[in-house]
Amino acid sequence: MDWYRFLFYYLWIAPHVLLAVVGVLLLKRNLYKSFPLFALYVWYEIAEFVLLFTIATTGWYVRAYLVTLAISTALRFGVIQEIFNNIFSERGPVDALARVSIRWTTAFLLSVAILFAILAPGQTSTSLIAGAAWIGRGIAIIQCGLVLFLLLFSGLVGIRLQNYVFGIALGFGILASVELANWAMHTGDLSKPMAKALNLLPTGAYHVAVLVWLGYLIAPAREMLRSIDAPARELDQWNGELERFLP
Amino acid sequence: MSAAYFYITVAVLLVALLTYIAAHRGGKPLALDKARAIIDSLDIQAFRNLVNPEEEEFLRASLAPDQFRRIRRERARAAFAYTRTLSQIALEFSRFGHAMRHSTDPRLVELGRQVVSSAVLLRLRALEASGRLLVTVAFPDLPQRYPHPLFEQYARSAGLLLRYRAFDYAQEQAS
Repeated sequence: MDWYRFLFYYLWIAPHVLLAVVGVLLLKRNLYKSFPLFALYVWYEIAEFVLLFTIATTGWYVRAYLVTLAISTALRFGVIQEIFNNIFSERGPVDALARVSIRWTTAFLLSVAILFAILAPGQTSTSLIAGAAWIGRGIAIIQCGLVLFLLLFSGLVGIRLQNYVFGIALGFGILASVELANWAMHTGDLSKPMAKALNLLPTGAYHVAVLVWLGYLIAPAREMLRSIDAPARELDQWNGELERFLP
Repeated sequence: MSAAYFYITVAVLLVALLTYIAAHRGGKPLALDKARAIIDSLDIQAFRNLVNPEEEEFLRASLAPDQFRRIRRERARAAFAYTRTLSQIALEFSRFGHAMRHSTDPRLVELGRQVVSSAVLLRLRALEASGRLLVTVAFPDLPQRYPHPLFEQYARSAGLLLRYRAFDYAQEQAS
């Protein structure tokens, strides 16, 4: 087996094996209750892999790939919404501001995706994959923008995301960014070596995203309590400072 | 391929930005000392004076228009430094609240939740006030609104932290 075939199969199979570990961790830690759509996405991706791997050499592959990709894309939007709901669920006025902001951000990203599709189509092929790539590129712009919005807005207002919430968002951000590049390359006619090399890009990014999810799920939440227990005496002085400002 | 290169550049920049966010994600320990030092450095009365509309009106009536605009810009810049400090304090309050939420005591967890909510609002108020002050720096003739909600929110956040101290003290007495 040459190195390309090895890498190709490794990047196709390994992330899904690791994804199964993510799925088990979600079940074991009861995180599927807070993130049901992410859990569904994880198990769906595994099922999709089994299906596509089984029919890889048949004529049905491309059609099945496009249909499963459409479902996967819809689920990713659902997961981003789920992350948003998880972050902004208990701070009245801030939640309201976040909801308005994300609506405007989505509208803005949609406009950008449409404008880019019109002004910089870069499409030189009329193949089915090139057409899907044209749509996929727009979707990648929107998903990447939404993930960035979530991370930047929560950071701006000082909301500290739990480790695994941050990890899920980061994984999707990396995935959407690399897919943007990947789909952009696929809108044109590609030479065979180029197409071969590009085949590794989305699976490679997927591997990185799964490692990010796994890493943030395994990494223990930092124990910050000790840091507030230890300097309890110092709070006396701190309180003195605070009292000056109370009416 | 020029369009493709454009998208690839955007994608590379996005990955770099995400990596930066992940790498700089609050790895610092909770710094009570720092928070106290920041609070200590904040002269809230001076800040109130800087944004007091009555003082603004007095200056407008007493100074020549050019001089008033210059002074108003300087006052807005100085007040901006205060809102930035308050913004930093809000972040420290928020981190302190998050730390409390890791407690095993449900009362402390609830107090931590309130501290975080209050700190997030304080941060928003500080950002809003900063924005208004920047507008004043750019357009000194525009009327300025007194940032009453910012002071109110600061008092609320500080009050919650005092409740933490009272709670801590009660626990000490009980044990």
